[in-house]
Amino acid sequence: MLNTVQCRHYLAQLTRVLGAQSAKLELAWILQSIHHRQPPDRHLALSSMVARRVSGEPLQYILGTQPFGSLQLLTRPPVLIPRPETEDWTIRLSEYVKPTLEAPIKLLDLCTGSGCIPLLLCKLWPAGTVRTTGVDISSDAIQLAEDNAKHCGILSTSDVTPSATASAHNTFNAVLADMRDPVFVSTMKSSGEFSPFHVITSNPPYIPKDEYEQLPPSVKDYEDIRALLGDPDMYPNDADISHLSPTPRSDVGRGLSFYHDIARLAHKQQGLLAEDGVVAVEVGKGQADDVTAIFKEEGNLQHTAIWKDPWDVERVVVASPTRNVRLGL
Amino acid sequence: MLRVAFRLHASRPRPLRCFHWTALRLAQSDILGSLDKSPIVQAVSRRMQRRTELQSQLSETLNTPEDKENMKQLSLMEPLRNAWEEWKETRNLLKETTVLLEDPDPSMRSLAGEEYTELVSKLSVMAQEKFPSLLVPPSETSHLSAMLEIKAGVGGSEAALFVGNMIRMYTAVAGHLGWKAAVTASNTTENGGMKDAMLEVKGQKAYDTLRWESGVHRVQRVPATEGSGRVHTSTVSVLVLPLEEDNGNEVKDDLFTMDEVRIEVMRSRGAGGQHVNKTESAVRLTHIPTGITVSMQDERSQHQNRRKAFMVLRARLMDRKLTQDTVDRRDLRRSLVKSADRSEKVRTYNYTQDRVTDHRLGMSIMNIDSVMDGEALQELLTELGRKYQAELLAEAAES
Repeated sequence: MLNTVQCRHYLAQLTRVLGAQSAKLELAWILQSIHHRQPPDRHLALSSMVARRVSGEPLQYILGTQPFGSLQLLTRPPVLIPRPETEDWTIRLSEYVKPTLEAPIKLLDLCTGSGCIPLLLCKLWPAGTVRTTGVDISSDAIQLAEDNAKHCGILSTSDVTPSATASAHNTFNAVLADMRDPVFVSTMKSSGEFSPFHVITSNPPYIPKDEYEQLPPSVKDYEDIRALLGDPDMYPNDADISHLSPTPRSDVGRGLSFYHDIARLAHKQQGLLAEDGVVAVEVGKGQADDVTAIFKEEGNLQHTAIWKDPWDVERVVVASPTRNVRLGL
Repeated sequence: MLRVAFRLHASRPRPLRCFHWTALRLAQSDILGSLDKSPIVQAVSRRMQRRTELQSQLSETLNTPEDKENMKQLSLMEPLRNAWEEWKETRNLLKETTVLLEDPDPSMRSLAGEEYTELVSKLSVMAQEKFPSLLVPPSETSHLSAMLEIKAGVGGSEAALFVGNMIRMYTAVAGHLGWKAAVTASNTTENGGMKDAMLEVKGQKAYDTLRWESGVHRVQRVPATEGSGRVHTSTVSVLVLPLEEDNGNEVKDDLFTMDEVRIEVMRSRGAGGQHVNKTESAVRLTHIPTGITVSMQDERSQHQNRRKAFMVLRARLMDRKLTQDTVDRRDLRRSLVKSADRSEKVRTYNYTQDRVTDHRLGMSIMNIDSVMDGEALQELLTELGRKYQAELLAEAAES
């Protein structure tokens, strides 16, 4: 049992930064994470973790994990920490789309980050019904996604030999690539025999430039700007990330760039999305209507729906070139 | 190290003893008489009369709705009927053997004496064990695990500390009885106590055994922080709920539908999504028809909190259903169920006198540590279980 006086002291420190309720919860989680360690080590760990939290570092980076659905995911800076809104719609998607062994599907997740979306879907859908691919521009993200796949016991296609019961596993492959690069589609199609994806998911960066500047330090100072800023043409240091597919002028500064790219990628003429395929993307607060319009006009995805998150914010745009009764499209 | 628990308790009925065959001759009419008059045997006899009535009510064709119901009842009565036939046979044998006790031949008398003893013993076993087991239906809840909700009552931080003591006590007794115990939610206080906590006890018969722990537990001791050595009285309330196997489904058809549940998240996340990386995953469920609410915030994800909250909701609704079923069954005189109105004092833990008293049993156990360590608590649980069975039997015998 830890010294009560010390606990009270740490609690007070955390309360100043987080408020009473969060402080209590977070201290309990910190204690839980080190509870198996031996005393001198444990006290040091506690002291350092509290200090880091007080300085503004996100708890998820300090603890190194974040539960996501039925998974326990690893978290590592600067890769985006999985959000509860994302958890909610990923689970919802798994209930509306029902792949089967007779009709298995392929899924593409753009800006995959930690790999949370495809990995959870691999877990939720029956074994052997889905092959997923997660793409990200960041090698940190790709490394973390691969580590997460291993951590969650999800195989990649190279782990599963064709002779073995390949059908008995859902798979995840992480690919380092820039989805905004014009050669992206041909890169995707180059591997072996290509067939279009039945589902394209994404939680792309969607924060407008001016809002990015106002973000709380725990987000802004710790998580990758490339995962957050929805205006990639407006990076502070215009490095080699400049682009190739410029955002329409009317949308510059509105955090919508990536949706233009996704709409173009999903358009029939690219052959990336199946004819009756579905696109599901997370959006920022207030962006759902604009993203819906972008998908209709540039992606020719005429059938759309908007999902709200548990906090009553329009959080997901679901779209398809064809009617989809189950999804209400 | 052996801990000795010194027990003071009310006397229990002893099984019939076997008498020497000479004494039997004198007592024989008494034995048969007392067996026949025992409430159990009379209850079985009454059931057999009802059975005969039911049979006489069957129609010629045997396919009216009443027939179907009656035949169902009759088939349920079969095991008891077989036992009753065995009883009658044994009783007749006993009567015949009684005659032989007077036989001129000594060796015959001796044989008859032995047989007499055996038959009386057989009859008493039937009356004490076989008939009761058939009159009282087996528990429908024996497969259920238990969820204990333990809350500090009167006494502030002292009560909160005792919540911790009780968690340890139940965890220990769970270990002794082969169950798995885990704290699934808790609200800690500054001094290391718990304002409230939920303890899951998983295993067969966990609910059946622990359900009588529901109620108010009173503790009398000198608090650790008390300078003057004055004894304080505080209380902790325990509520034991039934818990079913978690197979991951949120809805248990007969308990509730998703439409009846309102799910609320606790705080606004502003813009939410990528804008915010604080963990705010607290959830509140409201079961609209009953108004039961469950709040959960101990887990680090929305999904986990939802899952736990649904588990607790299911446990509360199942408890409600079971309690309702019991109340419906004309049982107001049953003292154990009556005290489970959850606000009655069920037990006092007196540290200064080193004694635990259970108020329903009227039973005390010395050496309070032996109870708090879980060992002597087992005795109390066994006695409470026996008392419940006895009450069920009394109810069955009257019907």
